[in-house]
Amino acid sequence: MTALLSIQAVTKVFGGLTAVDNVNLDIEERSITSLIGPNGAGKTTLFNCLTGLHTPEAGQILFDGRSLIGLRPDEIIARGVARTYQNIRLFGRMTALENVLVGQHLQLRASHWSAVLRSARQQAEERAARSFALELLAFVGLESHAEVVSTNLPYGEQRLLEVARALGSRPSLLLLDEPAAGMNPSETDRMMELVHRLRDEKGVTVFLIEHDMKVVMSVSESVAVLDYGEKIAEGTPEEVRANARVVEAYLGPEVVLQDTVATSDI
Amino acid sequence: MTPIRANGAIRNGLIAFAFLGYLILIGIPGRIGGAALPVLALVAALFFWVRLRRDASGTDGSFPQTASPTGKPGWEIGAPGHTVSQEQVMPLPGAGGALAIRSGLLAGITTGLLIAIVSFAFASAIGSGASIQPVLDKIVPVNVAALIGVSPGQIANDEVPTLRYLLLVLIFTAAGLLAALAVVAARVRNPQKAPVARLSKSLDSQLYRTVARFTGILLPFLLLAYIAWLGIPGVSAFGSNEGTVRLLLTLIATGSGLFALRLVRPGREQNVVAPLLALGALTMPFILDQFQNSVMGLVFIFVMMGLGLNIVVGYAGLLDLGYVAFFAIGAYTYAFLSAPFSSPYISSLLNLLAISPEIPLLGYWTALPVAMLTAAIGGILLGIPVLRLRGDYLAIVTLGFGEIIRLFMLNLGELTNGPRGILEISQPGLFGLAPQSFSSGFLSSQGWIFLLALISSALVAFVAIRLNDSRLGRAWFAMQEDEDVAEATGVHLVRTKLLAFAIGATFAGMAGQLYASRQINIFPENFSLFVSIDALALIIVGGIGSPAGIVLGALALKGLPEVLRGVDEYRIVTFAALLVIMMIVRPAGILPSARRRTQVAAPDEQALTPGAEEPVAKELDGDTARQAQAASPQSEAVRDKEDQ
Repeated sequence: MTALLSIQAVTKVFGGLTAVDNVNLDIEERSITSLIGPNGAGKTTLFNCLTGLHTPEAGQILFDGRSLIGLRPDEIIARGVARTYQNIRLFGRMTALENVLVGQHLQLRASHWSAVLRSARQQAEERAARSFALELLAFVGLESHAEVVSTNLPYGEQRLLEVARALGSRPSLLLLDEPAAGMNPSETDRMMELVHRLRDEKGVTVFLIEHDMKVVMSVSESVAVLDYGEKIAEGTPEEVRANARVVEAYLGPEVVLQDTVATSDI
Repeated sequence: MTPIRANGAIRNGLIAFAFLGYLILIGIPGRIGGAALPVLALVAALFFWVRLRRDASGTDGSFPQTASPTGKPGWEIGAPGHTVSQEQVMPLPGAGGALAIRSGLLAGITTGLLIAIVSFAFASAIGSGASIQPVLDKIVPVNVAALIGVSPGQIANDEVPTLRYLLLVLIFTAAGLLAALAVVAARVRNPQKAPVARLSKSLDSQLYRTVARFTGILLPFLLLAYIAWLGIPGVSAFGSNEGTVRLLLTLIATGSGLFALRLVRPGREQNVVAPLLALGALTMPFILDQFQNSVMGLVFIFVMMGLGLNIVVGYAGLLDLGYVAFFAIGAYTYAFLSAPFSSPYISSLLNLLAISPEIPLLGYWTALPVAMLTAAIGGILLGIPVLRLRGDYLAIVTLGFGEIIRLFMLNLGELTNGPRGILEISQPGLFGLAPQSFSSGFLSSQGWIFLLALISSALVAFVAIRLNDSRLGRAWFAMQEDEDVAEATGVHLVRTKLLAFAIGATFAGMAGQLYASRQINIFPENFSLFVSIDALALIIVGGIGSPAGIVLGALALKGLPEVLRGVDEYRIVTFAALLVIMMIVRPAGILPSARRRTQVAAPDEQALTPGAEEPVAKELDGDTARQAQAASPQSEAVRDKEDQ
């Protein structure tokens, strides 16, 4: 099985700071991979490199065998890489439904003239887009909030809506940036279940950044750890948990010897 | 409580007096004539009503934004039963009624007494021959007489009956009472009573709503009929002010037509009323005279501008202060194509091609696509360099672009004839007919321009609304909300921005062409920065993003100043005051778009939605609470220390 996403020696430098340093990572199709690491480790920067918000100084990113380097964000999402954001970035004054419709922007092909004339084809396309959007809202559990202006949604539901918007583009790879941040336990459970369903029902490959170790350990099939921009470990959750460098990165060098008692509480 | 209430009432009376006093000082009573006193009393009553309603509800000064019962997103969240609606603003217990009436009366008496005293002082000063006109230039017999309700001769001869002043006080007291009664009546409809009473009240309010709705729908037609009647030769009213009054009524009729459109129910009712309203609008150019038509023509040219600028500013969120550039490009393109040309460069070029420069190259209709295309190209040329700019920087660069085009017109004398302008631009014809042949009799030349402006605006509005309702409109709005995320969601920023600039510019180009044929002669000074500012102001006043609001904004900003022309040099001050009041009363514009309305209402709703962080943190055990904190990156360092 070849990797869906292949990150090869990617380096991103801001001024004198190397935010992402020579990172190599392969993500298999239909897998769930977590990216963890202390704050400032370069996780979100790596996501930004993947989605075209930053251009890496060196390295190669292959998605489905083709390079993503140098593409604009809208070209990258057209290839099938969608994402959510660490600090929720919805289109605040648009309704939940409209947010998902914007997510489908690239799927819609009708010309602007046909929109003015309301041609039958354009109308049919709009109807289909609307019902697909409602379907996605139902998938994340927001079907009853379709007409709610998105800033008025509770925090946890805004995160779900971001996922629905990302799904609007029918991605094959979904990047989730801290999907469970700020959620209460029941919302976190709902999010974990959603991550599984994304893969199982939608066939989407999921690559997520997460701090909540409960989520990371229960959801992911493999985990990669970044520290100061470098990848320091990779493997199954159990392997990573037992890795001495990971423990050191999280807890500092002096507690390494205390090992598993501390790490289980990361 | 009572003394505070009394103070409040007297303060209301004083404010009303200050406002009316200003109107008296700028000579409004003299302009209105016999109807002055009732009109002033009505203004006072309106003011009292606003103040009393505020006092009764105990909220702050702004009007409550009432929710329309249908199609309103966002209302269903939060605690059930706590909806933001009319009921919310009148929850005073029963004793409030008498209090409201008392404070209404007190306010009315205060205003009435003060106005009586002032008018007595003015009347006796004029009667005794004191020369106050050099100091207060509008305090002349006509004005004071209209205020007191007597003839100017009686003022001059100082023979005003004392009873008149008493009547003055009584009228304003009645205004206060009227306002108080309106507030009390509104409170009676508050449905927090016994079930039977509640049922009868709801029937009552149903009836009330139906009556109000039908009045609203009929109003534009009644006004139109009245305007038409006033236009019949021989009929006269309002003395020398008939033209101004008719213009004012036309503005009101147009505006009320828009409100009527909102009042009709979709379906059969709409299918009947909407065409009738359109028909009514189309008859206006035929019944108005040259002056009114020319003002209305300008208003609707600005409606087209506003609709175009609204695409750039309201939909796509790109602040463009140089919008006049495209208006100028449209106007000059048509001028080049249709004026018997006096610019040396083009004349010699035409001679070279063996075409007589005396005959217009193209007529209005054949030139239309050319003007639109040229303006669109101008829009794209402006758009390309500003693609990467946002906010303030974008505003400054576009501002510069507007000035560049104007200076270009001014200084390239070879091509544009410089400050001497381009003269004798030809008029729009119809199917090869010269404009004079059909516009002489029943349709004045300005009426023809108005008619064209009306039809073009309708067309432009249609296109704008449809585009906004498509994926392009969603992409524009998404871009306005968050440009980076919109791009990462698949919106092609370059294409989407340039489309906004190009479509906006096209509409401005159409407007410019019509403007050129309306003016006949155009000069660079017609296209100053102030045109951009007017266009921007009218969409802000009307309500950004709302086509109906833009029409109202244009009526208010381009129409009202012409009506206020009667008050001479006070026109601009009065107008500015009206604008300030309007922006306080309706901050989102006169007729805001649905999106802006929710934005204004948002603070209320935020209170209704349970805050995400605080309630969550409380019910969590220590471990997960820290994860909740992890939402803010700074807290992570703290968290790591805790773990150690």
